[in-house]
Amino acid sequence: MVPRPGRALFTGHRWTSAVLVAPLLLLAVFLAGCPKRPATSAASAPAPVVATPPPAPSAAAPAPPAVTPPPPAPAPSTEPPSTATPAIPAPPPGAPPKPSEFAENENLRDIHFDFDKYDIRPDDARILDANAAWLKTNQRNLVLIEGHCDERGMSEYNLALGERRAKSAMNYLVAQGVAANRITTISYGKERPLCTEKTEACWARNRRAHTLTKAQ
Amino acid sequence: MRVPRFLLVVVLAVVAVVAGGLLSTPGPARSQQPADVLLNVIASGAKRLNIAIPDFTLVGGTDPSGLVKQLPAVVGNDLNFSALFSVLAGAPAIPANNPAAQREAWANFAAAGAHAALLGLLTTRADRAEVEMRLFDLTSPEQRLIASKKFEMPVAQARRLSHKIADDVVLQFTGEAGVADTKIACTVAGGGAKEIYVMDYDGVAPVKMTTTRSINLSPAWSPDTRSIAFTSYMNGYPYLYRLFAFEKRPMQLLAGYGGINSSPAWSPDGKSIALTLSKDGNPEVYVLNVANGALRRLTNNAAIDTEPTWSPTGREIAFVSDRAGLGNIFVMDAEGTNVRRLTQAGFNTQPRWSPKGDAIAFTSRQGNFDLWAINPDGSNLRRLTAGPGDNQGPSWAPDGRHLVFQSSRTGSFQLFTMLADGSEQTLLTKGPSETTSGAWSPRLP
Repeated sequence: MVPRPGRALFTGHRWTSAVLVAPLLLLAVFLAGCPKRPATSAASAPAPVVATPPPAPSAAAPAPPAVTPPPPAPAPSTEPPSTATPAIPAPPPGAPPKPSEFAENENLRDIHFDFDKYDIRPDDARILDANAAWLKTNQRNLVLIEGHCDERGMSEYNLALGERRAKSAMNYLVAQGVAANRITTISYGKERPLCTEKTEACWARNRRAHTLTKAQ
Repeated sequence: MRVPRFLLVVVLAVVAVVAGGLLSTPGPARSQQPADVLLNVIASGAKRLNIAIPDFTLVGGTDPSGLVKQLPAVVGNDLNFSALFSVLAGAPAIPANNPAAQREAWANFAAAGAHAALLGLLTTRADRAEVEMRLFDLTSPEQRLIASKKFEMPVAQARRLSHKIADDVVLQFTGEAGVADTKIACTVAGGGAKEIYVMDYDGVAPVKMTTTRSINLSPAWSPDTRSIAFTSYMNGYPYLYRLFAFEKRPMQLLAGYGGINSSPAWSPDGKSIALTLSKDGNPEVYVLNVANGALRRLTNNAAIDTEPTWSPTGREIAFVSDRAGLGNIFVMDAEGTNVRRLTQAGFNTQPRWSPKGDAIAFTSRQGNFDLWAINPDGSNLRRLTAGPGDNQGPSWAPDGRHLVFQSSRTGSFQLFTMLADGSEQTLLTKGPSETTSGAWSPRLP
């Protein structure tokens, strides 16, 4: 019935040294722990927090103390109508066409970037010159520029870096005479690599600005 | 080294006197300073209090699912995780209403080196379980009762019942509750998407929170633990949303500006979210009023400014900027003024301010990626991980003693936990899908 004495019963920590500390810990109980609450208190736990509500207690069981849920948080102005519970909230009004509406365009080429950089390299400027020329002669096309990063680093910083890359390409095209209101940028950060090998050649391919179009 | 016996006697005598005064007169909460000091002594010395947790004793109702064994096992795991206790679990239950058997059992545990014992008295009623927890000081000759408290939960929430007991044991011994009754949110990759999951802090019972089949990033818990802000491509572009983790309530769009809407961080009062927007040309840090959507711009710089993290007072915000070359960590007042650089060398991102305010953990690239920490005044720069693989994405537990992070050391990114000094690194998620962006919740209400 009772446990056998013996250190092996316990889960492998330093009991002897812990003995020295025990009085201090116990002192801590009285200095800080106990004054906060009565020695005996019957505190029922707050409302269970579960994705699906638990079944209601049966009629035979004494009802647990009712815990009033906190009032709903103030809803932001963008909250969808409360009557509908869509799986996905509507996009904001005036949002650009969805990226899925843009298509690959073989007339437009990618540009690439050095690690953690977003300035346009000279060779890539010539690519953007050609892209700008095509876009100026094909005015009925909207433009989506994707900014991408390699897999190294963190999601959040790479989202900002990819945004800077897309914006660098966009600013170059605008300077070449492409109307800014035709162009939308989107950063995918490191989330959509072209290539998943862990080599510099692969990472270099992933650090890119990619241009898509949508005919109007 | 041994403490002289007379000193132990003196300390215990002091304890007894203090206890006699305080236990009988519960007063207002006191300063936690003495407990914190002692806790630090324990943590840095890696010393643990030995606590015996025999199987719980059924004193009412039936127990078809074996709660008398399940509950203490989870409590034991929680207390071992706390790194404050070393637990003996699995010993037979103490017979109900048998003081002699209890006294003999405690005496045997004490002889084996136990400093404390936890007696659990289980009563079940229909689908609810109630446990009366009794804590005993086995170093006192009279096996003194330290505390007694009741906890109740639906049987379906038995793990949470155990977590609450464990957190209260930590509270009784240190002055601050444990962190077992918390959750960890994360992203799990699959099929070109990343969905958000929420699981118990120990990795058990993951629940899928999103089914958008899109990329979802950067989950961030609101201080009241009710909602999680995150960046999602569910509408094609990276907008900021929030979901309600424990309610049947639809997701909300919080920020849908052109460009990126990323890196959410809730203010300590839960009224605002610091985030990164690029709507005005390049990534800048803003503060969004959650109630009315109003924006306040904090940074104004041609460089990247992103990844804000609030100090627990809400008076300062650390963030990442490449204004001085590579990404580094800066601190500013919450109004955007008084910007000063915190880190110098390397490429440093993902700052996360400790809930205790005394440290900022971050990810540094010096070859591989590893976790570091620095004091908010720029002192005490220290390394927390040194491989293997890449170690990234720190998130603090609410006690400031534990961190969750992601590591590629097993081949794919998985979540790990560790103590704030980098010790006790332990695998939390086992894949096979890549699991990243661990976000430790505040304590549940």
